[in-house]
Amino acid sequence: MKTRVTVDEELKRLSPEIAPPRDLWPGVVRGIVRTPRSAPRLSSVPWMAYAASAAGICLAAALTWVMVDGYWPTTSSPGLANGSTPAATPPAQTLPNGSPRGSPAIESSAGVVASLGEPSDPHYLAARAELERTFDQRLAQLDPGTRAKIEADLASIRRARDDIRKALEAQPDSPVLEQLLASALHDELDLYDDVVRTTQPTSARI
Amino acid sequence: MVGSVRHLHLMDLSDENVEPTAVIAAAAEGDLAAFEALYRRFAPRLYGLCLRLTGQREAAEDCVQESFVAAWRGLGRFEKRSRFSTWLQRIAIRTVIARRRGLRNVHEVGEPATGLPDRPDPDGVAIDLERAIAALPEGARDVLVLVGIYGYSHAEAGNVLGVAEGTCKAQLHRARGLLAAALGAEES
Repeated sequence: MKTRVTVDEELKRLSPEIAPPRDLWPGVVRGIVRTPRSAPRLSSVPWMAYAASAAGICLAAALTWVMVDGYWPTTSSPGLANGSTPAATPPAQTLPNGSPRGSPAIESSAGVVASLGEPSDPHYLAARAELERTFDQRLAQLDPGTRAKIEADLASIRRARDDIRKALEAQPDSPVLEQLLASALHDELDLYDDVVRTTQPTSARI
Repeated sequence: MVGSVRHLHLMDLSDENVEPTAVIAAAAEGDLAAFEALYRRFAPRLYGLCLRLTGQREAAEDCVQESFVAAWRGLGRFEKRSRFSTWLQRIAIRTVIARRRGLRNVHEVGEPATGLPDRPDPDGVAIDLERAIAALPEGARDVLVLVGIYGYSHAEAGNVLGVAEGTCKAQLHRARGLLAAALGAEES
């Protein structure tokens, strides 16, 4: 029979610390990448908010146009269509072509992207590099078939990104294309995040 | 170089009684490795707090992640008037409260008392207690968790929860009574 003790005595037995059942750090990094410290808030920049709003209204039509014109690969991820968290950006000054992955991943995404408005802030780049590093590690652990599929998806997203950049070169003032570029960049991050989350080490799960 | 920096961070964080000021400063300057060291050190405390306040594992995980992201963004404003862990906990509590408001707005209702810790507990007392806490009404649970487990004063708890100190005391009294009834323990 349990000895009657006071509630306060029971509470004192509880540790304030409980280990999370899985590693939450990749999710934190993802959040950091998505909302870098120096990123301007959309709502605080009226013209950007206006551009994003206009882009949102035109998105459905733009998607149709892009598909018909063959800008977007058929394997693009669904994130493109949801128009989530657009980061309206000023037009590009230079529009380099795609580049290989790896540590160069930072160059192939962040470095290049910086010229198109994605934050070039070193904190953001470091966070993004951390996410990509984890992604590369986890990807390497997958079976060849799965890895090939993911790499194909990633290549599709990057091709789309580069196509949009080329289109932006011709129409640097197009908010629709800016929106599409932002979506492509988010798709890339979503893919990294999906792989990192779904390949969480078994020992870290309940 | 990076390895040695990480080692320094870990060394600096090994003593719970020492505020890791160098690591905090490095993280505030944008050193992600330093921030990860802070995460490794404080995530269990924040997860414990969030899990007890939400009563749900997934909600607690979300809140911990959101809290650390908010902390990263706000590190430059951390004024060292309180301990870093206290500052982090305040962010976490506000995150939990904001999440509740959001859920209410979309009429989502979470199932309480799931995902409670699976730590070794031969006599089952701690698990029973955690479940009883999770089953408490929100207001009573918040105060009990902050005051009873995390050592807040009534004034501090009232401040961070946005309720009067007297309300806090009343909620704690209520929580103790409900817990005592649930556990067959004496109230105080």
